[in-house]
Amino acid sequence: MARIKENMIHGLFFLNGLVVVGVLCGIFAILVFTAAPAFKEISIVEFLATVRWNPTSYYKPSYGILSMIVSSLMVTIGALTIAVPLGIGTAAYLTDVASPRVREVAKPVIEILAGIPSVVLGFLGIVLVGPIIARVFGLPNGLNAINGSVLLAVMALPTIISLSEDALNSVPRSFTEASYAVGATKWQTVVRVKIPAAISGIFASCMLGMGRAVGETMTVLMATGCAPAMPRNFLDPVRTMTASIAIELGEVPYYTTHYYALFGIGLVLFVITFLINMAADAVLNKYQVKVR
Amino acid sequence: MNREHIKIKVKDFNFFYGEEQALKNVAMDIYKNEVIGIIGPSGCGKSTFLRSLNRMNDVIPGVKYEGTVTLDGKNIFAHGIDVVDIRRKVGMVFQKSNPFPKSVFDNVAYGLRINGEKNKDVIAEKVEKSLMGAALWGEVKDRLSASAFDLSGGQQQRLCIARALAVEPEVLLMDEPASALDPTATSKIEELIQELKKNYTIVIVTHNMQQAARISDYTAFFMMGELIEYDVAGKVFTNPSKKITEEYITGRFG
Amino acid sequence: MFRKTAKMLGVLILSVVVSLPALSQEMVQVRGSDTMVNVVQRMAEVYMQNNPGRYIAVTGGGSGTGIAAITNKTVDIANASRDIRQQEIIRARNSGVEPTRVVIGMDCITVVVNGDNNVDRLTVAQLGAIFRGEITNWKDVGGADMPITLYGRQSNSGTFVFFRDVVLKGDYSDRMNRMNGTSQIVEAVRADRTGIGYIGLGHARAARGLRVVRLALREGGEYADPTNPAHIAEGKYPIIRTLNQYIDGMPEGRIKDFLSFEVSPEGQKIMSEMGFVPIPSEYVEYNRTNAGV
Repeated sequence: MARIKENMIHGLFFLNGLVVVGVLCGIFAILVFTAAPAFKEISIVEFLATVRWNPTSYYKPSYGILSMIVSSLMVTIGALTIAVPLGIGTAAYLTDVASPRVREVAKPVIEILAGIPSVVLGFLGIVLVGPIIARVFGLPNGLNAINGSVLLAVMALPTIISLSEDALNSVPRSFTEASYAVGATKWQTVVRVKIPAAISGIFASCMLGMGRAVGETMTVLMATGCAPAMPRNFLDPVRTMTASIAIELGEVPYYTTHYYALFGIGLVLFVITFLINMAADAVLNKYQVKVR
Repeated sequence: MNREHIKIKVKDFNFFYGEEQALKNVAMDIYKNEVIGIIGPSGCGKSTFLRSLNRMNDVIPGVKYEGTVTLDGKNIFAHGIDVVDIRRKVGMVFQKSNPFPKSVFDNVAYGLRINGEKNKDVIAEKVEKSLMGAALWGEVKDRLSASAFDLSGGQQQRLCIARALAVEPEVLLMDEPASALDPTATSKIEELIQELKKNYTIVIVTHNMQQAARISDYTAFFMMGELIEYDVAGKVFTNPSKKITEEYITGRFG
Repeated sequence: MFRKTAKMLGVLILSVVVSLPALSQEMVQVRGSDTMVNVVQRMAEVYMQNNPGRYIAVTGGGSGTGIAAITNKTVDIANASRDIRQQEIIRARNSGVEPTRVVIGMDCITVVVNGDNNVDRLTVAQLGAIFRGEITNWKDVGGADMPITLYGRQSNSGTFVFFRDVVLKGDYSDRMNRMNGTSQIVEAVRADRTGIGYIGLGHARAARGLRVVRLALREGGEYADPTNPAHIAEGKYPIIRTLNQYIDGMPEGRIKDFLSFEVSPEGQKIMSEMGFVPIPSEYVEYNRTNAGV
């Protein structure tokens, strides 16, 4: 009787796993099959390597997504540039240096930050962050890649902080004590021993933060200007892949080249996210082996 | 034995974990270049005592102490004392070896670097010296960049000793350094300790009485937080003054 | 257990009762243009107040969505802030739907610049060149020496399409900021000395800190002010579009009744109050011959 129950539970978990894998493969398959007809009309080179995206053009439609890819990468890298050092530093501060009272206040604040809806952040980008950026850089408006980067950094920060904290807390006490025993200060210990020891967990947290940034739609749609031109620098407006899909999929007539092409963008996004995760995995594995 | 100079003097030392008192009125004089063995049953406070000597207990929240521990005449618990400096002078080797997840070289160099040494040649020289001092140089000189975890258990422990030696401490505290090692590795460590005492003062906690008998000059017997007996090793093991010491030595209780 | 079943049964019965009016086929369904949704909703409210027992449901979704719904016979009236396209007519006829057009009002596209910008008049040609990205500095149109910052709508907006087809006759500049809605354009231009944007007339009336630009059809022609009803009535303002409703076949019964209300003086009063332009005389005649309202 217990045997049968055991087998049933095994079966259930296996089924669970199958469903998850199945959903993932299913999504990929839908993207591929729905995007495929687009490439009868558009060459892959034109799609990936030209910069003009204008399917509803007055003249001839163009389907180049290079500007979008660059835009997405720009805001993601910008967000990580802000969130990674800030996040790891905050995590290090909270685990080792902060007094318990500071920790008590900081933790709920970070949780709240994580819960802010993306539309609210987008709104703050328009009414708060944007004007500040415009004033600081002398721009006509604050709808640009920097704005997007700041907002996405806010979104990625709680993830990076929480997971890095967990990683730092799981560093064995023995390392910390060995470090103190040769006369290191708290900060030296955190920076030179704990962070390197926890690097795989910290790296994973950054990858998760990056995934959040790449896939974010609403915030960038509201606060980055959505101009389709190839951005020249971070002070230019950007139009990410996610924003383009969100804007256009609602009104595109079904089963037209434009429609298929939008799914093509979705496919590219999927592949990019997939590659990021694979790279993260590979680095993690390499590091796990080293540390044992 | 020629006892010259008191390196560490413990006086009226009481230690509390929160409300619970772990050490009661401990008084001990530790002389330079001697090996002091600390024995006693589990929970008697020997590790707590050892960790008090380099203020390692400070990392535990809620600890309190009274009394003084002086190093070369200066109370290490006085206000304004630089703990970092104390810990550099009083090194520690732990029960379970804990090399950093770095290379052999970087492990030993760690203490030098955090204390501000930047000169690569000086670092290399001191690393070699420390590894020799820990009787490990011959075995690792060709694989200094290998991960510390590639070494055997005994080698890792000697690496930890080398790491502690690198900052040129005056005292070495060892908390059951060989308890996790096989007999061969253990005897290597014991030999090393005899060598080291020429230049360092060593306080070693051990639950292995035979080991204490083998290597210590003076032996301290702790029980329930109190220092019961502290005398020349030979005397403690053959003709102890206190009955309870004798009962412990002869294995009447563990 | 019994409690739970009783509760669920209660909810079920309640939802059926509430939806009875809809189920009873008395509901007139209207869908389409987001530009028109508020004003048509207002007209529907007043109509329902005047005619208890009649139910009108109005939703947005865009002009294209509305026309598609009429083709699929899922709604009675489609709101469209643009004219139906040829392919859409063909698709409708293929589904056995004959789209009939009723004009219920007009919408002026107003061009606004920042209140501190001294440029207050442009020709349509200049406007087109500006939004195509060919003119990039205000000094080229009589203003200060500062670059022009463009604010427009997203490509899914009927206003975007209309402005492009009537004014630009070409593609928008790649560097134009695509804003998500009229109020965003208003806020952006208000905050940006170098900004220019296009919005519906209703929003322009309410906006401080903006200057409405007068437009002339050609160089040397008369510059018309969209906030001046006389200019509009005289047909002088060049960027004006019809607000249409499309019905399957000739309107009759409750649909015709509602349409008649919309084109009546009472309905048209609501149109003006909401910032749109009432039906000009030639379309009044058109509605009568074309749809019998």
